[in-house]
Amino acid sequence: MTRADYCAVLFAALLLPYLYISQWTGSEAGVAASIMNGGQTTQVSLAHDHTLEIDGALGTSIIKIEDGKIRFVASPCLGKQCIHSGWLQHAGEFAACLPNRISVAVLGEEPRFDSINF
Amino acid sequence: MSNKPNSTTATKNGITMTTTPEDHLIAWLAALAIAIHIMESVLPSPLPGVKPGLANVITIAVFILYGWRIAVWVSMLRVLVGSILIGTFLSPTFMLSFSGAVASLIVLWLASRLPGEGLGPVGLCLLAAMAHMFGQFYIAYLLFIPHDGLFKLLPLLMTAAVIFGIISGIIVRSMLQHLDKRKNNTNTMISPRNEQEK
Repeated sequence: MTRADYCAVLFAALLLPYLYISQWTGSEAGVAASIMNGGQTTQVSLAHDHTLEIDGALGTSIIKIEDGKIRFVASPCLGKQCIHSGWLQHAGEFAACLPNRISVAVLGEEPRFDSINF
Repeated sequence: MSNKPNSTTATKNGITMTTTPEDHLIAWLAALAIAIHIMESVLPSPLPGVKPGLANVITIAVFILYGWRIAVWVSMLRVLVGSILIGTFLSPTFMLSFSGAVASLIVLWLASRLPGEGLGPVGLCLLAAMAHMFGQFYIAYLLFIPHDGLFKLLPLLMTAAVIFGIISGIIVRSMLQHLDKRKNNTNTMISPRNEQEK
């Protein structure tokens, strides 16, 4: 083992914890959600608890926001995949009701908002 | 193909090919790497992208013994022919394998420019394995799965790269020691580029 070898091993030994910490911890809590209905996107804040009723391609999907979390509670689809996705709270989490063409994506601090509706 | 390391001329169907000893060397080593590559492709993998990468043992050994240029030949032939034989040529698997190989060759080139005694087999294998992983991960992110969720896999993939990199480095080191011993005993064939490898 040369000195450069030890440097390489040290580099790897430092890089791995850095990767685990940067990728696996502190997954940012969502601050808003982007709801896509057909081709139309609206953003809602997760700061206030309320229930949304959204008319999609099949019928009305009910989306609930509570304690900074968001979920589908009802949807007129067959599979109910969207409801089984459960509560979404971290930035980047996503649930979709494809039959009703509605999807929900949780957004973090980073992206700039075009508008926020309460 | 003749295995004598002399310049040979073969004529077939009116086409004449002259091969140099270097061509033969590359062909033999690439064949060895391809065989390992194919054997490895049947191993089950816990995660896409995780694989021992034993074929890279050959690349690194060739790099140490014969230099970067021959290593590029052997590595590129291995990726190309290996994928054609397995049937993944131009598929995503091939793209990942190719981009990983290119990334690790770039790192090897940088390593060959290091001053002083430079890197030994373990350091070379480790850095090459990590570069291979970064290269294929980046291409996977860019071309196939452009979703930030992919980055959650990076720590696991890198851990595998580091472990397998060090293991193949140890394999290369003991391989070179054996070759060295054989050279001392029988005084034959292999002529290491630099004598610093012990």
